[in-house]
Amino acid sequence: MHVSKIGLTALVPPELIFACGGEPVDVNNIIPASKKYPRNKLCAWTAIWKEMLVERELSVDSLIVVAGGDCHNALVDGQKVAMSGIPTHFFFYPFDGDPEYLESQLYGLSGFLGGIKFPEKIKQINDLKKLGQKIDIKRSRGRITSGEAFNILISFSDLRGNLEEFQKNIASIKEHSIKTGNRIALIGVPPIFCDFHDVAQSLGLHIVFDELPYEFIRHRGANIREIACDYREYTFARPLDFRINFLQKELEKRKVDGIIHYTQFACHHMLEDEIIRSRLDYPVLTIQGDLPGNTPQQIKLRLEAFREMLERL
Amino acid sequence: MIARKKRVSEAIGLDVGSTTAKMVRIEDGEVQSRITGTHNWKDLVNGIKENIISTGYFRNSVPHTASVTEITAAIYGVRHYFPEADVIVDIGGQDTKVVDIRKNNFLINDKCGAGTGAFLEFAANYFSIGLDELGLFHRRAGRIPDINNTCGVFAISEMISQLVAGYSKEEVVAGMHYAFARRISFMVPEAETIVLIGGAAKNEGMVMALKDILKKKILIPEEPQVINALGALKYFS
Ligand code: SF4
Repeated sequence: MHVSKIGLTALVPPELIFACGGEPVDVNNIIPASKKYPRNKLCAWTAIWKEMLVERELSVDSLIVVAGGDCHNALVDGQKVAMSGIPTHFFFYPFDGDPEYLESQLYGLSGFLGGIKFPEKIKQINDLKKLGQKIDIKRSRGRITSGEAFNILISFSDLRGNLEEFQKNIASIKEHSIKTGNRIALIGVPPIFCDFHDVAQSLGLHIVFDELPYEFIRHRGANIREIACDYREYTFARPLDFRINFLQKELEKRKVDGIIHYTQFACHHMLEDEIIRSRLDYPVLTIQGDLPGNTPQQIKLRLEAFREMLERL
Repeated sequence: MIARKKRVSEAIGLDVGSTTAKMVRIEDGEVQSRITGTHNWKDLVNGIKENIISTGYFRNSVPHTASVTEITAAIYGVRHYFPEADVIVDIGGQDTKVVDIRKNNFLINDKCGAGTGAFLEFAANYFSIGLDELGLFHRRAGRIPDINNTCGVFAISEMISQLVAGYSKEEVVAGMHYAFARRISFMVPEAETIVLIGGAAKNEGMVMALKDILKKKILIPEEPQVINALGALKYFS
């Protein structure tokens, strides 16, 4: 049986894709390690997946672009992919969190994917998300490195396309005993650098919270109605107040010492920096990335200075 | 990584930056310093028996007992002279750093050359004058032409247009200092006292422009270029 590869540009409930018989591929996941220099770009994330899809260097049968409540760069670059001939569906989150609206979006998506055929996958994924939450807690207690935890958590957007294999990947994570001296929350979109968490750790900053990957393991539901009622709280799609209130609680729970706010060149989330700084009462380091690769020296200098600053407090 | 509070006695501070290297030692309470080009940094440590506390761009590439970033070093160095300082503006060869000591916050501009020492050097080269002559030119200017471009390369084309429009070299240099100072002022938070360090602090034209734009008290230590080397030393002593 041919399993369709379904490209995703951001968080789309992967349980629905699996339940419809598709194999999700988060098109962002290959970017940090890629050596691609896109020609026409604002944000490198969308520019690279757009170019790879249009040039068929990344093979998918269809693409789901998360547009509403997320990213306008993706909306435009997604249309370029659609024009290149790849069947593309645009998915919109409600800004006001309306569950009925989200439910209708999910029905529309399931229609695009041919309808639910394997409802049992939903429970299987919910169980994996519970394992993801355990990983998240363990790294916040210093029993898993933040790099290993991040690699798993970020993969929850597509569960690496194979639930059984992914479960094995989770089981193979080794436990350590790590000193979590400077406890850092990494907020914003994920860094485009492939070694960021390990670099931060080597410079004495232990990332105990990854904002976006945490969204990947936090939402669930047994059916479309329940999925709509839970995913409507996807913080990135909601007003800033909603997101910040949520962050305040999470950061307190995790006893965070400081925040790293990662921003991406030409991304509108950069405009949120001043609000984050004024509303979250922690030392904040704002950094910006552009192209993928290893963490650049200039960013390392900032991380090191931030650690020195936290230790001076 | 050396544990922070470990004290190092008998040490010198060594700041190897992108264009110059500086060495500081404290003898009988007096700060003594030497400066050379980055590539000759070895001259500064030849025959040195003390521990080296390094800072600057090349802090981890030179031999050292301990190292600290320029940002932290700047705070400790500035406090030696001005314990009440609120904000530090450090204009280096390749970047400009603004450190808000009260809020424990810092900003680094290393993406755009327009607010860095490299731009001043570029401009001085264009007029075939030494970096140290820029201040002199500025003082001789009668008028100050507008140079609005925030990009270093385009600012040079704008300077050429102002020459064509009839402004003198001196006036264009003054206009360039204002453009430079404006660029830096965007990074500076509200503050009572601002301490200016780094090589560009020796350029009085730039300092005059910055004072005029920020309308704040600007303090400059006697030898602004060696503050980070001094701060590195003080951080561990
Ligand atoms: S980083 Fe910003 S601009 Fe880029 S894809 Fe994400 S939301 Fe869109």
